[in-house]
Amino acid sequence: MAVSTIPKTRFRFIKKYGMAYLFIAVPILSMIVFLFIPMVISFIWSLNDFSGLTAAKFVGLQNYIRLFTADPIFIKSLVNTTLFVLMGMGIGPTLGMLTALMLNQNVKFRAIFRTAYYLPVMTSMVVVSTIWIMLYNQNGLINSVLNVFGLGNVGWLSDPRISLVSVAIAAIWQGFGFETVVFLAAMQSIPHELYEAATMDGAGNFQKFWYITLPLLKPVILFVYIIGIIGSYQVFDEVFVMTAGGPVYSTTSIVLYLYNKFMDLRLGYASAIAYILFAILVVFSFIQWRFFGERT
Amino acid sequence: MQKRQSKRFPLGRLLLYLALIVSSILMIVPFYWSVGTSFKLERFVFTNPPQWWPNPLTLQSYINILTRIHFLNFFLNSVFVSTAVTLGHVFFDTLAAYAFAKLVFPGRDKIFFIMLLALMVPFQVNLIPMYRIMVILHWTDSFLALIVPSLTSVFGIFLMRQFMMSIPSELLDAARIDGCNEFGVFWRVMFPLCLPGIATLVIFTFMGVWNDFLWPRIVINSEKLFTLPLGLAQLQMKNTSNQSQIMAGTVLTALPMILVFLFMQRRFIEGMTAGAMKG
Repeated sequence: MAVSTIPKTRFRFIKKYGMAYLFIAVPILSMIVFLFIPMVISFIWSLNDFSGLTAAKFVGLQNYIRLFTADPIFIKSLVNTTLFVLMGMGIGPTLGMLTALMLNQNVKFRAIFRTAYYLPVMTSMVVVSTIWIMLYNQNGLINSVLNVFGLGNVGWLSDPRISLVSVAIAAIWQGFGFETVVFLAAMQSIPHELYEAATMDGAGNFQKFWYITLPLLKPVILFVYIIGIIGSYQVFDEVFVMTAGGPVYSTTSIVLYLYNKFMDLRLGYASAIAYILFAILVVFSFIQWRFFGERT
Repeated sequence: MQKRQSKRFPLGRLLLYLALIVSSILMIVPFYWSVGTSFKLERFVFTNPPQWWPNPLTLQSYINILTRIHFLNFFLNSVFVSTAVTLGHVFFDTLAAYAFAKLVFPGRDKIFFIMLLALMVPFQVNLIPMYRIMVILHWTDSFLALIVPSLTSVFGIFLMRQFMMSIPSELLDAARIDGCNEFGVFWRVMFPLCLPGIATLVIFTFMGVWNDFLWPRIVINSEKLFTLPLGLAQLQMKNTSNQSQIMAGTVLTALPMILVFLFMQRRFIEGMTAGAMKG
């Protein structure tokens, strides 16, 4: 008797829940094949000397140790990327906040100004790169304008002392409109009554910003910084197209270095770089996840 | 905070508009300069003083990249790949989101939790093994490599689930009583109700795929399969001497997205801010 009840309950289970599992089947399968399996393989490779052509040789943590102790270019790429993140996060969200504050002043033609700030966000990083390569040209527009003030001939992308700054400027130009739009939307969702009450209490404009706008915008500001940090640490397209990491590794980023090692068929070594990047980003993802997880 | 006093001081108002206009011009000049350069003869590209209006104005660069470099082909490839991926997201993400939002089944919350954890993994971690998987499947240098691994995303499922949570379950129960099966409930009732959310999903996905560079760069080798960013990057690298052609390519790559944006501006902005607002 017992034999016949098992298929029956199983049948009932499938009938009851089968649809639901079917609905999530493709994403789950995709996640296993294209995310979990590669993730594990990548970790295993990071512990191996592996070229993809010959058999992998287990080397333990040697790839990681070498990256931190015997690879000055990797250290340089870590420093470059961190500087890039600091420049971007130091300026981008601040510009976004300033422009959002301006647009929030009941201005005419707001949509036009907003479009101007937002347009670069729509364009691909490759497009932004080709545009700025032209602007940064030795005889390009920026130097021509500077020439008027007797300041021309800056090697924006050829001088290793400023090339990283140049790339960061292009990236900030591309991205801060996103922050403008996000901050503006958040500001407009703040109830007017709060400002009116503050006005009656004699608060000035700065006080209103400091004690009402800023605290209420805190979650959005945090979101923008976390997303920005995570995205900027993965910088690749702009350095690949604009400078290919040069001159003299002055713009080599973590992901570009990973890409180069991948192309050199040092798959184990490149995987170790990927996991170091992962470790850096997990910290920020975790903050975001903790913070936004409890809200939803 | 001068600007905030603007209602009382016309001077503040003046400064506010001045700041808005100057900053907007700074944002637009690079675009203007690109378009202008694309219509210039090569020898007038880097003149001193700079030529603010192309003289003579020529279409030669556009003709060159459309006939010699097949930019139209890159464009069609981009349209095809972006559309295929977006359709995949619209179907699979909303279907899975429906299960997570409105159905009850053992392990649901655990599976969803694991998916959220998966959001933390940056793509670069999987990049190299993914390439090997593509080699094993013989998908390298084909659109399959660009489309199949990207057909769903945790982010899309998360976004749609958030949207569906706000739709009352009573509407679904009514359909169930009328004899709809679960897929029917999803397709006939939930899907149409989700269209505003789906618009957001479409925008996010399409734009992401359209602008994607690293993964296509790794898996695609043949020029006939290039998407626009790949074609443009190659033009930049091979053709450094011909700035006007590079700019024609730049304009053609950026223009479709910009046009779509200008026509659907409100949706775009709502879409881009949705993630931030809802968290």
